[in-house]
Amino acid sequence: MQALNSESGEIRLVNLTKKFGETVAVKDINLTIPHGSYCCLLGPSGCGKTTILRMIAGHETPSSGEIFIGENMVVGLPPVQRGTAMMFQSYALFPHLSIRDNVAFYLKMRGVAKEERRRQADEMLERVQLAHLRDRMPAQLSGGQQQRVALARSLITNPRVLLLDEPLSALDEFLRLQMRGELKALQNELGITFVHVTHTQPEAIALADMVVVMDNGRIDQAASAREIFNTPATPYVARFMGAQNVMTGTVQGMSNGVAFLKGAQGVSFEIAGKRDLKAGDTVSFAVRRDRIATHRRAKASGPQPVNAIVGRIDAIEYQGNFVKVSIDVPGLDSFVANVPDAEYFVEPIKPGDEVTASWNREQAHVLDEVDTGSSDPYAAS
Amino acid sequence: MTIGGGSGRRHPPAFRLSENMNSRSTALPYLQVTPLAVVLILFFAVPVALVLVVSFFRYQMLVGIVPDFTLKNYADILTNQTNWRLYYSTLKFAVIVLAITGVLGFWISYFLVFHVRNLVTAIALFLVCTVPFWTSNIIRMISWRPVLGREGLINQALVGGGIIDQPIEWLLYSDFAVVVAYVHLYTLFMIVPIFNSMARIDKSLLEAAIDAGATRWGVIWNVVLPLSKTGLALGALFVVTLVMGDFSVVTVMSGGLSGSAASAIFNDLQFLNYPRAAANAVVLLVVVLLIASAIFRLVDVRKELVR
Repeated sequence: MQALNSESGEIRLVNLTKKFGETVAVKDINLTIPHGSYCCLLGPSGCGKTTILRMIAGHETPSSGEIFIGENMVVGLPPVQRGTAMMFQSYALFPHLSIRDNVAFYLKMRGVAKEERRRQADEMLERVQLAHLRDRMPAQLSGGQQQRVALARSLITNPRVLLLDEPLSALDEFLRLQMRGELKALQNELGITFVHVTHTQPEAIALADMVVVMDNGRIDQAASAREIFNTPATPYVARFMGAQNVMTGTVQGMSNGVAFLKGAQGVSFEIAGKRDLKAGDTVSFAVRRDRIATHRRAKASGPQPVNAIVGRIDAIEYQGNFVKVSIDVPGLDSFVANVPDAEYFVEPIKPGDEVTASWNREQAHVLDEVDTGSSDPYAAS
Repeated sequence: MTIGGGSGRRHPPAFRLSENMNSRSTALPYLQVTPLAVVLILFFAVPVALVLVVSFFRYQMLVGIVPDFTLKNYADILTNQTNWRLYYSTLKFAVIVLAITGVLGFWISYFLVFHVRNLVTAIALFLVCTVPFWTSNIIRMISWRPVLGREGLINQALVGGGIIDQPIEWLLYSDFAVVVAYVHLYTLFMIVPIFNSMARIDKSLLEAAIDAGATRWGVIWNVVLPLSKTGLALGALFVVTLVMGDFSVVTVMSGGLSGSAASAIFNDLQFLNYPRAAANAVVLLVVVLLIASAIFRLVDVRKELVR
């Protein structure tokens, strides 16, 4: 499939703000989404991600700020002139029109003759492998098929930006994974910009070239999926992505790029590779769940080890290729170690056991903000 | 998959329970439908059957109703020029009123559903539409006299404003006045069903249409109108049956100059000619049923209501 639209699909949001009455849904956002990239707006419901999408689409007018697509300032322009196409969460298929007429709707609005628009609609339906259902009504189709129709209806407008509002949330697990792969393949093929709103972390990580994590109308971090997952910028992102343990300590001293910290419970931490810390600073850092080793606690002997915390096992969840060990540590909201299953079953531990969880000092990643301890209800578990 | 889910063993006790329910439930639906059935039979089926039977009876001057089987009443009605004129005039009113209330109802509903963003405001405006119904039918009709009459508001304003020299005569006691009163009385019956079907339209459908380049009119014509068809059909049904069955509005507002199909029945009743009145009622019923079935043929209301 050739690229549909050669015009640049770069999206630039400049000081974008949206208020609904007193509520500020989007707060002064600046963001550039490169042309031809797959961008996921990720955040809990009510964080403003859908509002941003709708402002790009032209279904919502910004309270202030500018939106550029390619070279053009598009605020005030109708959707067709923006070169955007939107796929709605509910698919928004016209219930009174056949599948073929749904797809051909755009052409009908442009005054394309009946024969020609039927031909083009059939061609587009062929692409999404639904040509055989073209005379059906939307209600007679399964969720996955309806979504393909919605996709075909969006693509027939030859957009340079495709906007997807939680496109996979209505599908069952199996279809979701299948559609996820197809969306990614489609984006590769078309080379146009995809902006995809989701509240599901694995979806964003699997699809996106660029993940934008949002909270409360603000962007917490916009970066590649790997960066977001490995080196979250804030405690919120670390928690929301779900694969990190966040801890806080006060810097005692530095030596050869290794910072020595003291935690709240008198635990000692060491962080390597971070030179710009000063004694007396309070910093939060994150350690990936799968970088943590757990051992049944030996009788307390010798000095308190560094980068090791002691706690009681709260719950054990078998996840197939690893075992999720939740440890109740005094002074921490949550602490989870993901232990490879082979390792776990060598020396199984049970809820109630006292364990020591430890990690290498190279695994600790310092966050830009100090953790305020606000636990996030959406944090993935 | 949760552990211990119902996928493994079956539970025989649950099955036995449902069999018990089955044997009892054969009588239950009939029992549940009885009250409504009794009401419908007593107050609908029996009277209609009675009217049908009487319509074949004979009317004898000074004697009254004589049980018989005669088609004379129907022959009278179908050969009477006046009757044909009355039906023609009633149908004409029905079509005019249907067109006006249809357009009004559609736009008022459209405004309420898609332009009033605040739900409380929408409900308040909706209640305003029902204000005329807070008083009786007769008062609502009579209130038009000070407005439309020879010395009425409109004529005084026009004469006082120097636009015309002589008051307009046809404002009151005319077909015009009848149509005004009908529209005033029956527009709400159009608004309610259209409002109902419009309120069920997913707002994102409108956005999807705009996304596909539809203009405001394009959205209305291609999305809103087709999806409001059920409401329009039900509203049309209300308005047509109300206009076809009316005789008081026509009599009052036309000053007795026009009549309706129902006023023929009223005349027969005044002469105690019950058989002919009954036959006339049957004819009217058949006409209305034909119109109703035509409306239902245009729009599959049942399918749409299930949606």
